[in-house]
Amino acid sequence: MGDLIKEFDNPNFSVERYTKQLVKECVGGPDLQKKKKEIQAYSDKTSATLKRSVYANYMQFIETAKEISNLESEMTQLSLLLHEQHNILASLTDGAAAKTGEDNDKEFHNEEEAENMHATRAVKEMVQGFNGNLEGKTFLCEGALTELDSNDYRPVQRVFFFLFNDVLIVCKVKHDKRLEFISEYDPKKIAVINIKDLNGVKNAINIITPDGSKIYQSITPAGKTEWIEQFEVAFRWDQQQKKPKKGPAPQPPKPNNSNNLTVDISPTDSQSAVVRKEENMAPDWIHSATDEIETFIAQRHFEDAESLIKRCKDFLQQSKTFVGVVEIEEKVMQLERQLADVLLQELSKCHARNLEVALRSTRRCLQILVNMGKARQASGTLLKVCSIGLRTAQKEARKNNAKISELFFCDLAQVACAFLLSFESQPACVSALVVWCNAELQYFASQLKKHYLTKGSHLESIAKCVEGVRKPCAKLTEIGLDLSYHLEGLLRADLEDLINESRLRLLETVGRTDDPWQPFNLHTKSNLKRLLLELEVLGIDMRPHTTGDTWINLTQSTLNFTRHYLQLTNHCAYLAKSEALSKSCQVLLRDLIIAQHSLKPDANLSVDPNFVAKNKQFLCEELLPIAISIFRRISGSNPDILRTIGIIRQQQAAPIPKKRSVYQTDVF
Amino acid sequence: MSKKPTAGPALHKVIMVGSGGVGKSALTLQFMYDEFVEDYEPTKADSYRKKVVLDGEEVQIDILDTAGQEDYAAIRDNYFRSGEGFLCVFSITDDESFQATQEFREQILRVKNDESIPFLLVGNKCDLNGIRRVPLAECQQRAQQWQVPYVETSAKTRENVDKVFFDLMREIRSRKTEDSKATSGRAKDRCKKRRLKCTHL
Ligand SMILES: Nc1nc2c(ncn2[C@@H]2O[C@H](COP(=O)(O)OP(=O)(O)OP(=O)(O)O)[C@@H](O)[C@H]2O)c(=O)[nH]1
Ligand SMILES: [Mg+2]
Repeated sequence: MGDLIKEFDNPNFSVERYTKQLVKECVGGPDLQKKKKEIQAYSDKTSATLKRSVYANYMQFIETAKEISNLESEMTQLSLLLHEQHNILASLTDGAAAKTGEDNDKEFHNEEEAENMHATRAVKEMVQGFNGNLEGKTFLCEGALTELDSNDYRPVQRVFFFLFNDVLIVCKVKHDKRLEFISEYDPKKIAVINIKDLNGVKNAINIITPDGSKIYQSITPAGKTEWIEQFEVAFRWDQQQKKPKKGPAPQPPKPNNSNNLTVDISPTDSQSAVVRKEENMAPDWIHSATDEIETFIAQRHFEDAESLIKRCKDFLQQSKTFVGVVEIEEKVMQLERQLADVLLQELSKCHARNLEVALRSTRRCLQILVNMGKARQASGTLLKVCSIGLRTAQKEARKNNAKISELFFCDLAQVACAFLLSFESQPACVSALVVWCNAELQYFASQLKKHYLTKGSHLESIAKCVEGVRKPCAKLTEIGLDLSYHLEGLLRADLEDLINESRLRLLETVGRTDDPWQPFNLHTKSNLKRLLLELEVLGIDMRPHTTGDTWINLTQSTLNFTRHYLQLTNHCAYLAKSEALSKSCQVLLRDLIIAQHSLKPDANLSVDPNFVAKNKQFLCEELLPIAISIFRRISGSNPDILRTIGIIRQQQAAPIPKKRSVYQTDVF
Repeated sequence: MSKKPTAGPALHKVIMVGSGGVGKSALTLQFMYDEFVEDYEPTKADSYRKKVVLDGEEVQIDILDTAGQEDYAAIRDNYFRSGEGFLCVFSITDDESFQATQEFREQILRVKNDESIPFLLVGNKCDLNGIRRVPLAECQQRAQQWQVPYVETSAKTRENVDKVFFDLMREIRSRKTEDSKATSGRAKDRCKKRRLKCTHL
């Protein structure tokens, strides 16, 4: 088989050659069959190994793949952002340079060179699928536009244009904000139409390329004008030697001068525009901003919508004197409300089967809502989503017999962390989280009671269940959530009932089996050894009571009780960690040992009274003190009720020895 | 360039052609907004859209107002392709603009490759009849030669403004119904036939 592996691994391995060789070598059918089996075995083994190694690292594999793709998209977004930042900076320095005058022509030239280089690099780095040569071209303009359907003018997709003197590069903006090359055109073959009137669609241009005519929408009127101008510059590049005309970047809003106004204003207003020149006019961008915000919301570019709203609000705060300020302000407010509503709705739809997935998908909406100052509403909605996720997970876990308590508190912790991450600085929200946690805890407790702490449950399973809840609950204090007290309060009444119920049930079983009141013979040494070991593990050393090789000088009933009692002590002590339950637990242990203590031999039975007394003495003087110390150790508190039994016993113990009255006493 | 069929009203695409300053934009704006614009601002390429009722039927008109300036001549082909009908405008006060219509006509025919494309010869600024430079007879003769209607308009007084746009839309509409009757296979023949017919005349 080793040879086989070597052969298959050979990079020059050819199936055809190998088969031919095989046929040549093999003598007859059976030989071939054998070979076939060998190869089959090898194939099976390989696929098994592959499967195993995939399984072994499966989760890691998935996680890593996810991480990588996340990182990748983050990186591209980052580079896109950086690029945008650069452009803004560049346009700012442009503006500064223009102001200082024309004497620094050289510098200007250098700057242009740098811009060309930068744009060229940007295209290379950001545009997937473009590998044309941009060497020596002059960069004119770039920016995002929205392509509209030519029939109903609804947005079709976001595109990004890079315009150079002799090429237009058209890219699609994908959902992860990466750019995907669509096509390139020669600007001399492009006709640009300024759409002045298109059933209310604003800032649209029609670009006719050899591939057809398409409508694009710019964010601002200034952006639209810029594109029309730059397309013309590109169109006439060869005719006129380049006029170093660099328009402002499409974005930064500047109060437009009247010259610009008359160009873009609708014809109806063009006469009055001259008159209005002197009035305080709002910048163009703010007029179209409301439409843009609406578009952004419709296209689910929530971040863009939010930032534009913010820009509007900032602007409105500074100057409130221009024409139409009231309408615009009102509209912006209304859009802000709309955006918040949409986001809250989005947020409320984020619930997924898996809480973690749900939390991750809420992040985007949360961030924007917090930025918008809607933290309170957002936190409320988030918690509702989490409730659904949490409860679904619980149901699933219950079905699969998984550890619901750990899951619950883990989930709770996860929600709390995610929540604090988003709303840390909002005290009102943090208190909402606390209220929510308590509500969820209440629901959890009700489920716990319904499914796990049912009537008739054994003390052991009750103790395990409660312990299983307490531990992860206590862990939450690590993140500053102390729910233990509340939890105990929620469970207390039910647990008390269960303990009392157990007590009555256990009391009924005491003395059920007929006891011959004879020393216990275990018949073999190993039996005896096993029993001693078992009891030692429970915390009591019975060796002093052994006699002979196989005897214990106590009744079988006493020994059985001892074993059972020590186990119960354990469970009770765990439950009694909560002080509130300590009392009923101790009462249970007290009543039980009293019941055992007061057992009397059958009247017809001839029994050595000393032996009876010895058994009782064992219960009081050995078993009880050990139970008390176990109880104290586990529960961490002093079992006062159990200890009073001892006191009473000791008070009465003095006159007792050898008197028949010993086993007639019901109370020590 | 084929368009997806629109569910809404029919769309008729009109292109304004003619030399600079003859009043293409003025006519367009008068038709669109009932306004006369006194200032002259050379156009690059603007488009407008409007719903109108044409013989009881609601239709949409798409007007592409092009540049008359010579230096835009090279780009015209690109625009002309999308047009379904043309208003070829000159100013009756400017003979040069009248002569230029010849060139526009030729360019349109070359681009559209169709001798019977809906087309109106429009003599604008008829409110300035006092300083008329192009005799009416000459205008009518040219229209007859091209087998197209001739209409005189004024963007200032709104005279015949609606008429030229509606007449052109009617021609476009009847051309479309004619086309939809003809199978696509015959459509090409039709063009040739028209060509032949015209050369006979
Ligand atoms: N008196 C008069 N003036 C007109 C009429 N039509 C246009 N004008 C004037 O003529 C000038 C030019 O008109 P436009 O409509 O801008 O010319 P245009 O054909 O669009 O020019 P380009 O855009 O350069 O091709 C403007 O000052 C108008 O006021 C008209 O019917 N009568
Ligand atoms: Mg014009």
